[in-house]
Amino acid sequence: MEKIQITLNINDKPCEVMVYPNDTLLEVLRDELDLTGSKESCGEGVCGSCTVHMDGKPVRSCLTLAMEAQGTKIKTVEGLANGDDLSDLQQSFIDHGAVQCGFCTPGMLMSADALLNENPRPDEKTIRKALAGNICRCTGYAKIVEAVAHAGNPQEHCPDCVDK
Amino acid sequence: MRLPRFDYLGPDNLEGALDLLDTHRDDAKILAGGTDLLVRMKKGLLKPKFLISLKALNELSYIKKEDNNIKIGAGTSIADIIASNLVKKEAHALLQACEKIGAITIQHHRGTIGGNILQDNRCHHYNQSDFHRSGRQPCHKDGGKICYARDEADRCNSTCQSDGATALMALGAKITLARKGGERTVDLVDFYTADGIMPFAMESHELLKEIIIPMQGAQSAYKRLAYRSAIDYPIVCAGVLLKSSKKNEIREVRIVVGAMGRSPLFLVRASSSLKGKKLTDMDAFKKAADIAMDNASTFAVHNVGSTLEYRCAMVSQMVLRALKQAAEAAKR
Repeated sequence: MEKIQITLNINDKPCEVMVYPNDTLLEVLRDELDLTGSKESCGEGVCGSCTVHMDGKPVRSCLTLAMEAQGTKIKTVEGLANGDDLSDLQQSFIDHGAVQCGFCTPGMLMSADALLNENPRPDEKTIRKALAGNICRCTGYAKIVEAVAHAGNPQEHCPDCVDK
Repeated sequence: MRLPRFDYLGPDNLEGALDLLDTHRDDAKILAGGTDLLVRMKKGLLKPKFLISLKALNELSYIKKEDNNIKIGAGTSIADIIASNLVKKEAHALLQACEKIGAITIQHHRGTIGGNILQDNRCHHYNQSDFHRSGRQPCHKDGGKICYARDEADRCNSTCQSDGATALMALGAKITLARKGGERTVDLVDFYTADGIMPFAMESHELLKEIIIPMQGAQSAYKRLAYRSAIDYPIVCAGVLLKSSKKNEIREVRIVVGAMGRSPLFLVRASSSLKGKKLTDMDAFKKAADIAMDNASTFAVHNVGSTLEYRCAMVSQMVLRALKQAAEAAKR
């Protein structure tokens, strides 16, 4: 088994990497490209902490071969912020205390970002459905759902919002 | 968790894929979405030498109406099926089943309907890590001669937990299997071997190409029970198809119960007990659901999620709910 050179389009940058056929996208992102925002937890598509976007749709990078990701546009959690400027969604997670240990947060952000791109003003039920594949074991989901609802609707502050 | 080593083959078209499959046969596995296959490989349950990727085969992704049938390409993603108006209108049970498969993050893009039908049977004694399994004798499915789910069983009792297959069987679907130089179409009911080790009656050089659902002008519904609503396999599920006359009389019923046996179970006695009954006859529905429970329970073993007693008791509930929903839709 030999390494194969492939080109991946990650956060709008082409990256040339050498991969084994059995490398998952997650392993390449973390180990080859040092994009360690995406996390590995269960490794079998149950927890959602490795979620990244492929062509704008959230997928599990632990169950996607790097070879299969060729020719698609990949966006990781590192691609959400613009330099040091956090995206509205990321800022909203901070303002609402939706992060505790932070391990699930990259996956939550990517699932929520995909939802907001499709539906900028989702209701609570839609948010919960979109995040159903992501598990958080610390904060509970209330603050995360609030953070997503607020990011999609920044004009209407909820009582928990930090006044800025 | 690392994947075991394999060679990746990426054919450009169906012909190329069938050629490769014909050459490598048992050494190769088909990679569609990978949401079932890669998990099994990570656990060391499967070590194919070659993976044949269907990534480039857009020709397997379609939903179309032809000769009073709905034809769905095996590579169609679950999200495309949920978005289809044709499926929503004519094969409601399939829509309901697809909505329950995985979570949106997996459905959207990766999971395919073909992969869902061909997902391997599961058992909580078998679907474990290498380390867990190394601590005891291998079971039937692992190449041994023991069944941990049922004492002294001479065969594998793993359970088919596919949502899609249960709904499709209720809808009376057929599937087309392609091989190099030909193809064949079989009824989904006849596609199962009743052997948990290799549950599907297909050869290693065959590829699931198409699903054909007859449009019968009937109502269908699918209900399932699982612990977690997203990313969880059903512990009991039921799909029903209900054809009625204009006088609200039931002409034909198909009741299929899933996650209770080595394949989805088409329960003929429960189904025929409803023939000629009124759509409003709740007692007849309850009776049919109880017959379904009695018949399905004989196949089940304690090997997925909940206790056997609970799963058996819930069969009648799932069947009854599905029947009620289909009857409601038929009355309109």
